Amino acid sequence: MIRWSIRSIGSEGTVLLASCTGVAFAFLLVMFFEAVFNGESERITAYPTQVNADVWVMQKGVSNMHMAVSQLWDWKEDRIRSIEGVADTESILYMNAVIDVGDREWFAYIVGLDERADFSAPWAMHSGKRLPERGEMVIPETLARLTGLQTGDNIAIADRRFTIIGLSEGTFSMANSIVFVSKVDLADIMSATGSVSYVMVRAASGVSPIELAQRILNQVDKVNALPQKKFINNDHHLARQMGVEIIAMMSIIGSLLAIVIVAFTVHMFILRRKRELAILKALGYRNRHVYMSVLLQALLLTLGGLALSFAFALVLFPMISLLVPAVSLKWTLASLLKTTIAAFLVAALAALWPARQVVRVDPLAVFHG
Amino acid sequence: MILQLVIKKARAEPAQFIFVIIAIASVIALVLVLEGFRQGIYQQIRQIIMSRGADVIVAQAGVSNMVASRSILPQLSRQAVERIDGVVEAHPMTSLPAIYDKGGRQTPVFVLVYDTLGGPAELEAGRQLAQNREIVIDRSLAVIYELLPGDDFVLNDFSFTVVGISKDTAAFFTPFAFTNYDDLIDLYFESDIVGDLSTLPLLSFLLVEIEAGRDASRIAAEIDKRVPEVDAYLPDAIAANDVAMSRSMLGQVFQLMIVIAYLIGVLVIGLIMFSSVQKRKYELAVFKAIGFSFSRLAQSVIAESLLLTLLALPLAAVFAYVLSLLIQEAAPVYLILTTEDGPMIRTLIASLVFSILGSLMSFRMIARLEPVLALRG
Repeated sequence: MIRWSIRSIGSEGTVLLASCTGVAFAFLLVMFFEAVFNGESERITAYPTQVNADVWVMQKGVSNMHMAVSQLWDWKEDRIRSIEGVADTESILYMNAVIDVGDREWFAYIVGLDERADFSAPWAMHSGKRLPERGEMVIPETLARLTGLQTGDNIAIADRRFTIIGLSEGTFSMANSIVFVSKVDLADIMSATGSVSYVMVRAASGVSPIELAQRILNQVDKVNALPQKKFINNDHHLARQMGVEIIAMMSIIGSLLAIVIVAFTVHMFILRRKRELAILKALGYRNRHVYMSVLLQALLLTLGGLALSFAFALVLFPMISLLVPAVSLKWTLASLLKTTIAAFLVAALAALWPARQVVRVDPLAVFHG
Repeated sequence: MILQLVIKKARAEPAQFIFVIIAIASVIALVLVLEGFRQGIYQQIRQIIMSRGADVIVAQAGVSNMVASRSILPQLSRQAVERIDGVVEAHPMTSLPAIYDKGGRQTPVFVLVYDTLGGPAELEAGRQLAQNREIVIDRSLAVIYELLPGDDFVLNDFSFTVVGISKDTAAFFTPFAFTNYDDLIDLYFESDIVGDLSTLPLLSFLLVEIEAGRDASRIAAEIDKRVPEVDAYLPDAIAANDVAMSRSMLGQVFQLMIVIAYLIGVLVIGLIMFSSVQKRKYELAVFKAIGFSFSRLAQSVIAESLLLTLLALPLAAVFAYVLSLLIQEAAPVYLILTTEDGPMIRTLIASLVFSILGSLMSFRMIARLEPVLALRG
């Protein structure tokens, strides 16, 4: 029976290939959607991850960076620096804004850096200067590539024009690219003289970030202090949560589509093999044997589609990232597992309707020719 | 002839016919949902700006967007704008992004702080703001966090009471909330960031109300000319800028997903037509035997697939609509517009194209059909 199932499904190469490809694209659509969210979630946390501070200090009530606004008095940085266990601090001003790039506008996170910034500055440069002075700006290299901008060109934030002096790497995101300017310029734009947005703290050797964050909370009034790991997790968690329902819905839609495709293909197989099924029944095979064969066919089709979708993803995702640099795709083990589990469900559900037809096959049909 | 054939097939095997129509409708519905998703994002952005009730919107000079963009106006700019002939009043508004955190779940929220104009246009429950420490929240926040008028709403460690649930007040995957200026100042005080009030971002935009019968675009031009620290826009124009920005951010992703959905469509139609041709191969062989050319038979297959697609379209529209309702129920921050004219027409044309492409899959089989097969059948 198993051999018959495999042989009969394998005998129609074109249908099998088209069906598997259809299922593969349905899964691919779901994986693509999830990969976009994963990719963006990762890019969103690029700055805090690369800055590599031990503790982040921000306005009370704020606990992350993505889509948040934080404002602290700048003297609080001096206060933090004097706390035992603090090795070094750097601070930034930060706001989200739309930057005017030629004929297009791009949403960006603007980071205002001190003139002697070290670990808060861009961590990898493609070309040019790393630290912007007044009127200067460092933009992501990908953004420059997408918009045709080069070092020496101008970009506007609000009514101020900045000259591009450097192109950074790893700072581009579809939703929020990171652009660096001087803190003085950003303070002017934000009307935020005398304040900073985040203070990044490096701990002295042997001092744990958790312990240091607690010390800062105890000693500096009305701030929030979080170890780097927790701070990044908050951003990551927030970004993922923004997409969690829509990813779930897209997964359901993609899976439903896969069910329709698999069910249709198996149904057509059965229709074409009604006589063979009648012979099997006439030979004494029970309905449950035939059910199993239908389920096996559905499973083979679905797993074929799943394997193809993984193969497509392996080839297409890196290609998409290269051809469409605005889109960052990230595949995770969790999404692979979810898609695989969904595939088994798809196979089981897709087999239901064709199985009903199998029951109706009359063993006498074998004599009807 | 094709119509007769399709009707004959539908009568002979109604279950299979329904299955075919459902399969095609499912793919078209997927495209409609993706198109509707994209359309919904643009519509939400437009709506959040247009429903603020302004004739002219004034932003910081050089700022040409409203949603998700930071604008800081000098406080004296309000008086300067109000001095312009034709301006009745310039109503202040500030936007403040914040993160709402409850029960381990976090959601970004755009808080719109307003005084006399700019509040929520329509409420689903509760009332408008009347006192301090009150907030009106978008229905998506109310659904996600199961909030009702009267519940507490803590933002940046500052406690509000929910008094109203607003409709159509989410954009850019983010719900909006509305509060008044007194609360914004209190919030700044509680956060210990106030030293000099004049340095705080208290004014993001001015919602300008003009005299009846006056030309809004002329007044906007006059504001631009006479108040150099601001830029004035008609609401339509600033909404168009925000839509354009979201297109540049999200357009490519949606385009890629829609292309994948169309590929699925081609394959599904291909499968259906391949099965149909295979089932009718004896019949087609007879046609070949009596002199029908390949192109004539191919045309009949194309016509059949087009007809099936046309029959599936109304069902696809229903599927897409139901799916959009389900998605919006599960993720109320999204708006999915599956019944807009533009995407509908685009999807109709694209569906007809993918049904033609799908029918090509069976051409090889038709070409290889031997007329002698008619004798065996």
